[in-house]
Amino acid sequence: MKNKLITMQEAVAQYTWDGMTFAHGGALPVGSDCIAFFREMVRQGVKNVNLISNCNTQGSNLLAAAGGVARMEVGFSGLEVYGFANGLKRAVESGKTILEDYSNGGIPNRLFGGAMGWPFVPTFVSWGSDQAWASADEPDTYPNDKKIPAIKDPFTGVTMGAMKSLNPEVACIHVTMADIYGNCIMLGTEWSRFELSRAAKKVVIQADYIVDTDCMRQFPNLVRIPDLVVDAVVYWPMGVWPACSTGVYDSDEEHMFYMNKLLKTEEGTVEYIDKYVKSYSTPEEFLDVIGKEKVDQLCKSATNFLVDPYRKWIKSDAEIKELMGGR
Amino acid sequence: MDYSKNEMMAIATGREFSDGELAIFGVGLSMLAGFFAQRNHAPNMIAFTEGGVYGSTPVGGLPWGIEDNRISANATSFTNAIDALGMLVASGRVDNAVIGAAQIDKFGNVNTTGIWTEGTQPWKVGKYTLPKVRLNGSGGANEIAVGAKKYIIMAAHEKKRFAEKVDYISSPGYINGGDDRKKYGFPGGGPSAIVTNLGILRPDPVTKEFYLDSYFVFSSVEEIIENTGWDLKVSPNVKMIPEPTEKELENLRAVDETGSLRKK
Repeated sequence: MKNKLITMQEAVAQYTWDGMTFAHGGALPVGSDCIAFFREMVRQGVKNVNLISNCNTQGSNLLAAAGGVARMEVGFSGLEVYGFANGLKRAVESGKTILEDYSNGGIPNRLFGGAMGWPFVPTFVSWGSDQAWASADEPDTYPNDKKIPAIKDPFTGVTMGAMKSLNPEVACIHVTMADIYGNCIMLGTEWSRFELSRAAKKVVIQADYIVDTDCMRQFPNLVRIPDLVVDAVVYWPMGVWPACSTGVYDSDEEHMFYMNKLLKTEEGTVEYIDKYVKSYSTPEEFLDVIGKEKVDQLCKSATNFLVDPYRKWIKSDAEIKELMGGR
Repeated sequence: MDYSKNEMMAIATGREFSDGELAIFGVGLSMLAGFFAQRNHAPNMIAFTEGGVYGSTPVGGLPWGIEDNRISANATSFTNAIDALGMLVASGRVDNAVIGAAQIDKFGNVNTTGIWTEGTQPWKVGKYTLPKVRLNGSGGANEIAVGAKKYIIMAAHEKKRFAEKVDYISSPGYINGGDDRKKYGFPGGGPSAIVTNLGILRPDPVTKEFYLDSYFVFSSVEEIIENTGWDLKVSPNVKMIPEPTEKELENLRAVDETGSLRKK
C-alpha cells in the first residue's frame, strides 16, 4: 500500500491545471470544504476552471474573485446567513463567470449518476422551473429544452426530466481524519462527499487529522471514503477556516464577514490574497497567519466531544513530518 | 403587548405546523419559526436539515448555516444530501416546510436566483441574459417546492417582491396556475400559504391564485393590496389574525435567543 501523503503545494501542482473541470468539498457554505486547497490554487494562479460546486463556499468565492472561474455549475451560490458571496457575485454579474444553476439535491444526483456510470439521471427536481428552461451555456435559446430534456418513464408513461451525469476530472474533498493511504472518516453531514469521491476521476483529500489505520479498523462502517478511490492526502489543520469543521473548530464569524467584504472589489481581493494566501507556505505558518489566540478560540467547539473516540490514533505533527520524509 | 412585525410573522408561520409532522426548515427566519412551533405546540414534530442532520436543536445561538456546528452538537444521526434532500424531501415524504423568497408571484412561484431589468426577463425576451443582480440560487428550496406535501413561503411584503410573474422560477409553486403542477409529475402538493410581515395569503383551490386570507392587528387589507404587485383578490371572509399569546412570545424568544427578530 502506498503512502499518499504529499504537501499542499505538490497536490495543487500535480492535480490542477488551467481549464480543468474541478469539483470541491461537497460541503455547505458554512461547512467542511477544502478552503485551504482553494487558497493554494489561487497562489499558483490556476485559471479558467470549470467548477462543479454543490454549494459555493469561501473557497469558490475566493477563486472566482481572483478571476479563476470560467464556468460553474452550482446548487446554491450564496454564503447562507453571511449573505451573498461577493466575489462570485461580482464575477457573474460582470460576465467573467458563466453560472449554470441547479439545486442542492440535483448536483449530488448528477454526481451519483456519474459514479454509477450512467449517462443521465431522471429527475423531478429542477424540472418545471427556470433551472430547466434557462441555460447559461445557450443564452440565446429560451425556453431551453436541452439542458434538462424531457424523457418518458417506460413503465408508467410519466414525463420527467433527464439531468446529465457528472464526472469531474479532479475533486478535492475535506475530511476530518484520514490515514496515509486515504481511508477517511467525516464527522458531521457528509453533504455530497460520498458520491463525489466516486464520481471524480482523481481525488485529493485535505484532512484536519492524520490517524493510524487502526482507527479505520475500529470504525470501518464510518470509512465512507476508502483508500482505493483516493490519489493523494494532504494534512492541513484549520483547512476549512473561516468556515467550520464539525468536531474540530467553529466558523470564524468575524473573518467570514471580513473576507467577503474584501472580495467585493478587485483591490480588496488583491489585499486579501496578499494577507491570507501569499503570506505562508507551511501549515505552521498558516496557523500563525490566523493567530494562535484565534485558533484556540475557534477550536473550543460544542462539537469537540465528537472527536473523543478517535483521539488515541491521531498522529502528532512530528510523526506526520516523519511520514512525509521530512518535507 | 410589545412585539415586532417579524415576531408576528414567525409566530404566524409556526402556527401552520402541526404536531407529529416531518418538517424541514431553511436557515434564519424559517428555522426560528419551525423551532418555535416545536417548542410551543408541536413537541412531536420531527425536523431535520438538508444535509441530513437529524435529532438536533440549535446550541449557542441561531446557526450561521444549516450545517453549522451550532446545529451539529446534539444530533442523533448525520447522513448526506442525497438522503435528506432526495429520499426524504424530493421523494414526497416530508409533510411541511418553510422556504424564503426574494420575489414571489400570484401562483406562488419563488425567485431566489436573480433580478432582471424590467423588460429583459428571460420569459419576456426569449433570451437568458445576465441578471442585473445575481442572487443565491435555489439551494434545497427547489426540492421542497417539488416534493413537500405542503410548504409555507415566508417573505417581506413589498410591491417589488410581489410580482404578477417572477423574473425567474427558482422553486416552482403552481407555475401557470390550475393543475399545472400535474404536467410535471411533482410528488408534492405545492405551497399552502405565503406568510408575510403584513398578513397571510392562501391559494384558491381551483385557480391556485393566491388571495388575501388574513391580516395582522398592525396591518390592513388596503395596506396589503398596496404592497402587492398583482391585482390581489380578497377573501369575502378576510379576518384579523390573533395576536401572539404570552406563551407564544415566550417560546419564540426562547428559540430566538439572540433577539434577531426583535430588531426592527
